[in-house]
Amino acid sequence: MIRIAAVGDVHVDKDVVGRYRPALEQLPDRADALLVAGDLTRHGTPEEARCFAEEFGGLAVPVVVVLGNHDHQSDQQERVTEVLTDAGITVLECSTTVLEIRGHRLGIAGAKGFGGGFAGACASNFGEREMKDFVGTTESISARLGEALRSVECDALVALTHYSPVPETLVGEPLEIYPFLGCYQLGNAVDSAPTALALHGHAHHGSERGRTPGGVPVRNVAHPVIKQAYNVYQLLTDSVDAELVPA
Amino acid sequence: MTHQIDLEAEIQRLLTEHERIAEQGITVHRRENVVVLGGEVESAQRRDEICRQVTGHFPDIEITCDIGITRAQAPSEVEEIS
Repeated sequence: MIRIAAVGDVHVDKDVVGRYRPALEQLPDRADALLVAGDLTRHGTPEEARCFAEEFGGLAVPVVVVLGNHDHQSDQQERVTEVLTDAGITVLECSTTVLEIRGHRLGIAGAKGFGGGFAGACASNFGEREMKDFVGTTESISARLGEALRSVECDALVALTHYSPVPETLVGEPLEIYPFLGCYQLGNAVDSAPTALALHGHAHHGSERGRTPGGVPVRNVAHPVIKQAYNVYQLLTDSVDAELVPA
Repeated sequence: MTHQIDLEAEIQRLLTEHERIAEQGITVHRRENVVVLGGEVESAQRRDEICRQVTGHFPDIEITCDIGITRAQAPSEVEEIS
């Protein structure tokens, strides 16, 4: 059994430091790792990254994150990544990490992801240079996430993104902005590997649960969606463990 | 001067692009005589700043702020993924 805690879109700045900490102090009793699905900060400054590290770092369990669009706002994403890494937080961008947890290997492949839309209403790599750049970014990030997912050797594989790989977890958002909230190519990447769970954020008014076309469970863990400090998901459940799971 | 038809767009862009706000998750709905702001933010200071900025930029519009603060308590349940 592996239990992972997850949240996204916490948008930490000085005014938020201390709000999550009481719940995070209890996290090691409830989960084996914490995954954060991007938008760690408001404007993506190193100062805000330090606030995030102060609030979410120094836990007794590993913390693994991807950046979100807010974390790119100040064009200092490399510096933000450095601050987080220096604080012992693992930052994934089309890359992977494997955590050894009670005899199991939890593999995590992460990427920010990008928009582009979903089947029947997606952008195409065609026309103006700006549009080709947009969809080209979508395709590149998704392809590299797929490669990362397929490269991991583990017992349970989790995909961690900021943008959504499916439209089901966007339900509640205006249809008009779906192409800015995720893309089907991320879903294809998730389905190209034996992924056990896909986690994302970004859609504050979306829905919690969905599945990829290939059947992989997807959870939108944006903080305004889950309405608590983090959710806890259990993987690799055996018959004894199942008795511990509330109905 | 902001055209009435563009009002929601103007407010939405202010909420996202103003450096003291940077919120993409606030809804803007027009009622008969009032514009209602909804959604959740991470602190009371952020909610108050949104109301201050929107009211300041659109002094002729009646604004109602229904923005909440997202709770941050620890969870009490575990979901088994299968």
